[in-house]
Amino acid sequence: MSGPWQRWPELDPLDLVLRLTLLDLVLRPVGDWALRFPILGLAAAGLLLPAFLRRRELWAALALLTGLRVALSWPLPDNHAYLLCYWCLAIALSRFARDGGRVLAINGRWLLALLFGFATLWKLLSPDFADATFFRVTLLLDPRFEGFTRLVGGLSIEQIDAARAALERHADGGWLAPVAATRPSARFEVLARATTLWTVAIEAAVTIAFCWPKDRGPSRLRDPLLIAFCVTTYAVATVDGFGWLLIAMGLAQCAAEQTRTRVAYLATYALILFYREVDWIERLANLVDRT
Amino acid sequence: MNGFRNGERVANALPVLVLVVVALSQLLLARTQALSAWSGGGFGMFSTLDHASQRHLHAFVVRPGLRREVVAPPALAEEVARALTLPTEARLRSLAVALANTPTPDHGPPTGLQIQVWNTRFDPATLTPASHILREFLLPLDEEK
Repeated sequence: MSGPWQRWPELDPLDLVLRLTLLDLVLRPVGDWALRFPILGLAAAGLLLPAFLRRRELWAALALLTGLRVALSWPLPDNHAYLLCYWCLAIALSRFARDGGRVLAINGRWLLALLFGFATLWKLLSPDFADATFFRVTLLLDPRFEGFTRLVGGLSIEQIDAARAALERHADGGWLAPVAATRPSARFEVLARATTLWTVAIEAAVTIAFCWPKDRGPSRLRDPLLIAFCVTTYAVATVDGFGWLLIAMGLAQCAAEQTRTRVAYLATYALILFYREVDWIERLANLVDRT
Repeated sequence: MNGFRNGERVANALPVLVLVVVALSQLLLARTQALSAWSGGGFGMFSTLDHASQRHLHAFVVRPGLRREVVAPPALAEEVARALTLPTEARLRSLAVALANTPTPDHGPPTGLQIQVWNTRFDPATLTPASHILREFLLPLDEEK
């Protein structure tokens, strides 16, 4: 039997990282119209023209344009905008370096370690995260979490709507009486606390694994932990562009012989696309509601 | 030769160094200038309810004995979003200047333009929302003229 799966190990690991980064730019275009057009054009050219994929000019231009996007709309851009700029810069620098693969691997590892480190630090510093208020409010207010709240939290659409109305009441400088709708059920409270604990635990674990010296102790769990983070987080919070970048960085720090790990990363990339395109959690919640 | 290699190492680590500098600056700005943890490149998304969408802004044209609220026009939407995300005095002043000529039905020259940035906090026990003034700025209009 011969086919694409047998030839998988022949696929250059560096090319795979570059292609997945460009695919992220195509699937999740960034910037306003003036920047979006050249970024999208460069990403499409890199994907379609093999000779263009490794060109340092392509990556330097993408680093410049994604950096411009952050600078011109500062302080509004989200984490994805910054990470995209850092990653394009890392790839551009690797194209100028003598050992490009190593430079990219080191940047991938430390960008992951630091971004998860700062994300964990912010969660530990925020009192409304530590006492689970963040998820108790977000699971009710943020429409992206509605399916998850219905399916796992056991709330009906009517209960969520009532809670939203209570949480969105507005009285500047005044006082509002507490409303029962904001504490919908004991099961929901457990869900909010479990989500809080899981989020901070998995992010701290990824930080430790990526900071630890390679091939020792927790560092051996780097890839499974990062994949577990992506599989669980993006099933609920569909922040696909950010997730795809994490996978590209994870792949970049993988050793060449880790074929199975690379397949797992690639499958996770596809899974995040599935999460984005198929509202599976809503469908499952509807099915549970009907039965 | 060593100097060249060290320079190359620093250049190759540039993305990581920039991430650290930006993230530390974001932490500082969040602590001192009320920058929303969700913005500024510090990876504080999904860590707090204090993001720009939970903040809102009121602008008032002030006359002796009278304070009339004015609504920012859609053309200033991005300025408003920036002021909500990072309400520095400079940013609030710039927004106040842009709103200073907003017409109101009142007579007499205005003496000032006041801007208030509010955020919503939720009681940890009951989740009851309550708004608090995060930043306040008064632009004396006489001074501007």
